[in-house]
Amino acid sequence: MEDRDALLKKKVQRTVEVLPAKELAKLDEVIARYAGKAGHLIPALKDAQEMYGYLPMEVQHRIADGLHVSPSHVYGVVTFYSFFTIMPRGRHTIRLCLGTACYVKGSKEILETIVREVGINVGETSQDGRFTIEAVRCLGACGLAPVMMIGEDTHGNVDPKDTLRIIQAYE
Amino acid sequence: MVTLTIDGVEVTVERGATILEAAQKAGVRIPTLCHDKRLVPFGACRLCMVEVVARGRKRTMPACFNPARDGMEVTTSSPDLIKSRRMQLMLLLRSHPLLCPSCDACGNCRLQDLVHEYEVAEPPFPKEQRYFHIDNDSHFIRFNMNLCVKCGMCVRICDEVQGVNELSFVRRGMENEVSTDFGRPLDCEFCGQCAQICPVGAISSKWLVGTGRQFELRQTNTTCAFCSLGCTLTLGLKSDKVVWVSSPSDSHNEGNLCVKGRYGWPYVYSEKRLSKPLIRKNGRLEEVEWNEALGFVAERLNSIKEAHGGPSLAALGSERLTNEEAYVFNRFVRTVMGTPHLDHAGGYGYAGLVNGIAPALGYPASPNSINELRSARVIVLLGADLTETHPVAKNEVIRALTRYEAQVIVIDSMRTRLSDRADISLLVAPGQEHLIAYAMLKEILDKGLFDKTALALRADGLDELQASLERYTPDKVAAMTGTDPEEIRQAAKAYAEAAGSLLVLTEGMNRGSTQVLCAQAAANLALVTGRIGKPANGICVFPEKTNGQGALDMGLVPNLLPGFRSITDEKARAKFEEAWGAPLPSEPGLNAGQILEKAAAKEIRGLYVVGENPLETYPDRNLVKKALESVEFLVVQDLFLTSTAALAHAVLPVKAFTEKTGTFTSSERLVQRIRPVLKPGAVKSDLEIFTALAALMGQPSMTYSGPEAIMDEIAGLVDVYGGISYRRLAAEGLPWPCVDPEDPGKPLLYEGGFPGGKAKLLPASVPQPAVGDALPMFLIPAVLKFHSGSFSEWSTSLMEVCPEGSAEMNADDARSMGLSDGDSVRVIGADGSWITGKVKISRRALRGAIIVPQHFSALKVNTLTRWNGPAVRVRVEKA
Repeated sequence: MEDRDALLKKKVQRTVEVLPAKELAKLDEVIARYAGKAGHLIPALKDAQEMYGYLPMEVQHRIADGLHVSPSHVYGVVTFYSFFTIMPRGRHTIRLCLGTACYVKGSKEILETIVREVGINVGETSQDGRFTIEAVRCLGACGLAPVMMIGEDTHGNVDPKDTLRIIQAYE
Repeated sequence: MVTLTIDGVEVTVERGATILEAAQKAGVRIPTLCHDKRLVPFGACRLCMVEVVARGRKRTMPACFNPARDGMEVTTSSPDLIKSRRMQLMLLLRSHPLLCPSCDACGNCRLQDLVHEYEVAEPPFPKEQRYFHIDNDSHFIRFNMNLCVKCGMCVRICDEVQGVNELSFVRRGMENEVSTDFGRPLDCEFCGQCAQICPVGAISSKWLVGTGRQFELRQTNTTCAFCSLGCTLTLGLKSDKVVWVSSPSDSHNEGNLCVKGRYGWPYVYSEKRLSKPLIRKNGRLEEVEWNEALGFVAERLNSIKEAHGGPSLAALGSERLTNEEAYVFNRFVRTVMGTPHLDHAGGYGYAGLVNGIAPALGYPASPNSINELRSARVIVLLGADLTETHPVAKNEVIRALTRYEAQVIVIDSMRTRLSDRADISLLVAPGQEHLIAYAMLKEILDKGLFDKTALALRADGLDELQASLERYTPDKVAAMTGTDPEEIRQAAKAYAEAAGSLLVLTEGMNRGSTQVLCAQAAANLALVTGRIGKPANGICVFPEKTNGQGALDMGLVPNLLPGFRSITDEKARAKFEEAWGAPLPSEPGLNAGQILEKAAAKEIRGLYVVGENPLETYPDRNLVKKALESVEFLVVQDLFLTSTAALAHAVLPVKAFTEKTGTFTSSERLVQRIRPVLKPGAVKSDLEIFTALAALMGQPSMTYSGPEAIMDEIAGLVDVYGGISYRRLAAEGLPWPCVDPEDPGKPLLYEGGFPGGKAKLLPASVPQPAVGDALPMFLIPAVLKFHSGSFSEWSTSLMEVCPEGSAEMNADDARSMGLSDGDSVRVIGADGSWITGKVKISRRALRGAIIVPQHFSALKVNTLTRWNGPAVRVRVEKA
């Protein structure tokens, strides 16, 4: 359990990054758009995430303050929806399907290649901020299995041997 | 009304009641794990499933959030239902550790009870263990989320009742837990409601860890001794020591408590409590035996009285005395000491009631009860920051606001938690709150938003009132106060037209002399719109400390005898003279401010201070200090060696509320018992001291067999207490007026009309200038929810959460003065006296105001406050 505690602590600390005041002030425009309206927390968080790429503690606190909701509530919403992230994302998000069809067609090998070559596991971001890997259940294109999305691009019928070549195209 | 049968019992309930409520009424128990009557039904635990036959169809549904309907036939227990409940419990046990023998909640765990009741043995599923770390980082409260059953009651009570929303469900699935943002320690009101409501041991009191479990505790109900709401406390004792405090759910506060009630009590165990009397010998206070101390006090008081006459003595009582003690103290001061000079709470604990409410309506008391707040449609908080002063009453406002969608109008001189959520919030400079009420009244009168004929039957003085309001139109007041005239008009319209409108005021040291003007304006508003004597309509006035109402009822004021009879009223005086066997002064005495002025001028030579610390809490600290140092003889009766006691010639240690018998009268006039649960050392109760001193000072007839006998005497002499006796108070409190032994008391005053036949509309007063009118900023002496007077400084637990106060300033003001958080500032009054404090930039402070809490001896904010003037102006400079 101690290991787990240490891990949790590490995760929490990573999110306490000080954004410059000027960057943070950009949020006020988002807040102004939604302040005073009930039920507008999620759109506000979505806009904020589009702006910063993720939702660190300061951003969440500022939104909570501006929309008159408690910071705990904001955090609850952010941690509930997988769309939101508290940690900075890479420039490119790799969404690799690990659903049944893709799995049997070799997405496990693709994942192993990425883990070995990029040095990160599912849910993590590479040190150079280039990639974030997400495992997904299905991308709705089983006919193209194994499927991998990088950003908005879809790659079907991926040969595990080609994995490295495909991802190297993304800087 | 709808009628249904539940397990063969026919029951009729209000339309809208749930099946669960109907079952409770029918006396049928339905098991629940996520239900509490204070909360909106949630339907998380699925244990309350029942079978319902309606219109020929049989369905299974949760009883907690399905409404009862006519003709329903409900079965609460059938083989299928039992099977389903057992399955629910087995699923819960899948991830709930079975460490009951070491769990603090053992014996007080609803899950454990139900598992026992439904005979759930080894669940057939593999365990799915969660691994949350046990979080001990918060004050008072421990989180062990491995035990959580996701009933959501903590999250809901924090949001729906407290209005804080500090706790939230975070993450999903097996990682789901109740926590704060980023798992930080709690930074909230520390009311402990989450720990009390938790059905298992997931959230618990740290103090109980390894200390004691529910079934080991001896429990006694008593009344809280902090604020005037009179919440019922259950003290849990193990090995004759208090280890746990909660509140029963069937009490009038419905089990709600604030941080002071639940966690403030450790002061009774403070090592700083006085255990023996002290008298000043060779300039030093030295411990002596009781005989010597009492003999010394009696001898000194007697000698001053003989040499200079009774009126050279004066006495200051306290809102913390029980009714019985206050009554006997009154008798002691007026007959044995022979002086008319008697007051308490600096005159500020009751000024609004005596000079505002009583002349208008009749009784100097709050006409409405606290629970009426939740049924009001419009609530006007007139200078009442309930979150800080009376947190449990704030809960009622939150419930009205969120659950019943009432409109809340805040008129205050700072941003409060409630002003953020209010429909209309009118923020003004200190001392201007009543002007908004005047403008609302003017608008109501001008627009004819009231029933003129009915008003003429109810109250006199409309013409004078109208004439006095000439200069207070919404436009003019808006210009004076910097508010929006349209908002004032909206507030007036909302107030006048709502089906139920309640005005809320608070009394106390923080309210200055504006409290009288606010109370008068509130009485006028309520009278004009015909809101007195109706439920969920009228005025709630909350005094500062526990027995604020009782001290007034028992006449601890310069001009009143017990039962609000004027001291100049010959007939009333004669009645008390006969009962007390001694002549009474026939003229009103000096009030607290005048007593201290005369003491400073050496005209008052002896001062008897009971349960109060004037040096820290009364206005004008320098005058108080001079007065206390000037008197020939100062005797102080207290639990601690307070800064006032340190100046005394004799200090008499007394019992705490956990050690004595008596009654407190709450702000809703509810007379309630306090019960002794602890055995103190060599200290005496205030009562024992008064009677002992009376005997030594030549009044041996002033003996009572105990508080019970005193209450009987009070019942005989004070009309509104006529039917109150300890026998009747055994189970629960009685609201006065309760005139005879059959009378159940009246929670609502003036239902059958006013005591004088008609009420009186009081004309608006001309505003007084603030103290130090030319200075740039206003000083607001504020109350913090963690503290009560200067007394709470002795409570280690409250000092742990809130060890010091800071000078709160608006960000703009701070910036323009070049100040940032933590800088030291000097706050300087008109006469050059000053205090220093650390700046905290805060949303609460409006521009041009500095907020300094009044509880801390380190801040000494009373150096700057004065008895007269609605507000204090200061200037602030960097120190």
